Amino acid sequence: MDKNRVQVGQLALLYLLLVMGGKFLTLPSLLAGDVGHDSWLSVAFSFVWDGICLCFLLWAVKMNSDSHLDLSAILEKSVSKPVTKLLLIIFFVIFILRINVLLSSCYKMFSVTFDVSTNWIVYVLPIAALSFFAVAKGFNAIARMGQLLFGLILLAVVALFVSPLLEVEFGALKPLGEAGWDKILLTSYTRSFWFSDYIFIYFVLDGIKVKKTVFTPILISFAVGAFLCILLNAVFVALFGYLAPDFDMAMSKIGVFSAASTTNGRWDWLTLSIWLISVFIKVMVFIFCAYKCIEKFVGSNFVKFNWIAAGIILLTLSLPLFVSTEQLLGTVIKWGVIPFTLVQYVLPLLMPLCTKAAKRKTEVNNE
Amino acid sequence: MKISFDQFHKLWNGQDDFRLRELDCGIVLKAVCLDTMCDDAKVSAFVLQPIAYIGRADSIVEVEKKLAAGTGVRKPPNLFAAVEDFTNGYTLIFDQNDNCISVDTRTVIGRSIAEPPTSMVMRGPREGFVEDIKVNITLLRKRLKTPNLKIINLAVGKYTNTAVAVCYIEGIAEQRIVDDIVQRLQSVKTDGVLDSSYLARYLDVSKTFLFRRIGSTEKPDIAVGKMLEGRLAVIVDGSPMVLTVPYLFVEDMQSPGDYYENSAMTTLSRSLRFISVIASVLLPALYVCLQVYNYQIIPLRFLITVLNASEAIPFSPLTEMLLVLIVFDILREANLRMPSAVGISLSLVGAIVLGDAAVQAGLLGAPAVMIGALSGIGLFTMPDNTLILSLLRLLVTFIGGVMGLLGVIISTMTILVYLASMQDYKTPFLAPFAPDIPEDRQDAVAQIPVPNMKKRPRSIPNENSDRRG
Repeated sequence: MDKNRVQVGQLALLYLLLVMGGKFLTLPSLLAGDVGHDSWLSVAFSFVWDGICLCFLLWAVKMNSDSHLDLSAILEKSVSKPVTKLLLIIFFVIFILRINVLLSSCYKMFSVTFDVSTNWIVYVLPIAALSFFAVAKGFNAIARMGQLLFGLILLAVVALFVSPLLEVEFGALKPLGEAGWDKILLTSYTRSFWFSDYIFIYFVLDGIKVKKTVFTPILISFAVGAFLCILLNAVFVALFGYLAPDFDMAMSKIGVFSAASTTNGRWDWLTLSIWLISVFIKVMVFIFCAYKCIEKFVGSNFVKFNWIAAGIILLTLSLPLFVSTEQLLGTVIKWGVIPFTLVQYVLPLLMPLCTKAAKRKTEVNNE
Repeated sequence: MKISFDQFHKLWNGQDDFRLRELDCGIVLKAVCLDTMCDDAKVSAFVLQPIAYIGRADSIVEVEKKLAAGTGVRKPPNLFAAVEDFTNGYTLIFDQNDNCISVDTRTVIGRSIAEPPTSMVMRGPREGFVEDIKVNITLLRKRLKTPNLKIINLAVGKYTNTAVAVCYIEGIAEQRIVDDIVQRLQSVKTDGVLDSSYLARYLDVSKTFLFRRIGSTEKPDIAVGKMLEGRLAVIVDGSPMVLTVPYLFVEDMQSPGDYYENSAMTTLSRSLRFISVIASVLLPALYVCLQVYNYQIIPLRFLITVLNASEAIPFSPLTEMLLVLIVFDILREANLRMPSAVGISLSLVGAIVLGDAAVQAGLLGAPAVMIGALSGIGLFTMPDNTLILSLLRLLVTFIGGVMGLLGVIISTMTILVYLASMQDYKTPFLAPFAPDIPEDRQDAVAQIPVPNMKKRPRSIPNENSDRRG
């Protein structure tokens, strides 16, 4: 069995988990700080662009379904080896940064919300161990686990949403576009680092088992995920108003509304913990992609688990020991937006062309 | 290797139970058998009497034809096969030219067919497999009256030469899986096979040994049910446990009686089994980590009760829970080794006296004992995996006690990744849930009525998916 093989259905569910995992941590407060109660519009614009890019990427997936070429094969055959290596470096950096931002947000959530303060290394090591174990077992195992836990996570998200949704006054979102449409659009671009979760699909291109359709299930997942994210942002800024930028853990603050009375116990913490599984799944998927970046960069197939690659990734996870998340977001990611845009938003648009060229070249070589 | 009587005689002469008779019926014949493995009446009726009444024979071929009273007469192709027949209780007849025939004179010693103690049912057949391979094959044949039931006979084990039969239904089981399993069994290099569980380890492709990867059943109706889904049954002489391959995790949640009950009741009982197994593994860990780190989650009244009960306990919640779980495991292990009559008293002593005394003495809190007991009992809904789940429960509890909710989440995810990665004989271990196979969910946790099950499960590779004949 190819341990990195994945069905379209599994990919769709995993994608939805990835969209939901991570966007309910510090992003809503950051957006609220940028554009106030119009943050949900900024999220909506980001998702519009995500949707367009996703369609192009899925088109490439469909074209690749009979040839099963991997990302580096497509890029090397359609552009060139040096450009491929450069893109892989950008991919690696983006994955590592996203993993670090996700982990540090979760770390903060555990210490602030759950009152469990621990050392960064002690906190990161078990998550990294789990992720490397999953990498060794293959993407298929991650996808199957996502499939198993999907219902539970969705239930937890719905449980966290229901109470605040009943209490929220959506009138607080008016007037629309108060921050200025150009600023809203610009914010959706400057905060694009948090979006384009579909980039993991690049690294499973060769393993996607397309049976009937590839567009419908994944686009449905995308639509559901986008709707939930926009809704959460709208609920968040409507509930907390001008205080929203100060509440950096959106999901835990929203969860407070689910706890009717403290005498009944903070059951929202339990649902919050279940939702956190989706964040860990996202971390696992991104670590898998970072590992694949190294594999493709060195140009060999790691038949057995490669400890050196794992060691490199593990070293990069110590980044928050030296740079705070705020510094990361304020400097590295701010300046990295342009190269990141290249792989997040430009490459997907070119992927169908690249795939077509790579396929043609493969056919010619075979002849 | 060519058969030679002298060689054969050299191998066995001197053994107390080795019997040799020289007979003359025109040609000189030598009949040999093992007294301990043969039935005297059969030797007399199928070998000695027919030869005595033949009168004259010119060749062993003629003797073979006239031994028609014996149903199992054959020509072993080589010395190895002759020795195998001989040790299985066949009588070998040699002529002067070292031609040999073997006659089935096996003795039937063994217990009679009875209801297996591990798979009692309220309704349904009560027959169980026994140690004799022939009887076990008969039990399958009784239920599968079709020429499509194929049986491949093998002998495994250098010294035990244990007879192994691979049974499958041609046209349902996938031939590639059959070939794979036969090849695996043929390549087994071992001194001896004393039970089917020995071979289960060789059939476990990924050799993980943590979770059970090969099914086993003591009931012929269950074995046939599984064969009708495309699985293979591996019968080992001397073992009442018949192996079934491939195997799914969900089979652990299915009880032999499920198919003879109302499907709604089956769905309910299977759901309870699922919930109790998940709760058994996670409940102690959650109890410890909520008490130590996130007590705010526990409702106030419940929290007060727990705190009052554990106030005077000299151990930390983690130590307390680990103690309860270990004591429970010790009791379970002792109970298994004890004769059944003593076992009942031991359970009572363990559960009531020991638990109550520990609580009264203030060594353990009543909530911890209750959760430990609940978790322990819950595991028995999945009897075949009790030990491994018990080990995982201790591990998750320890990690939960050290790391809190994060630890419980991480360890649960690790277990799930591990389970999800397993795939033997093209069968994903967690099917039909991961990967999701909607058609197969008709008989996973929920069960639809048997007449509505028109397709064979897709999770198990098969050559004919239609069940309607």
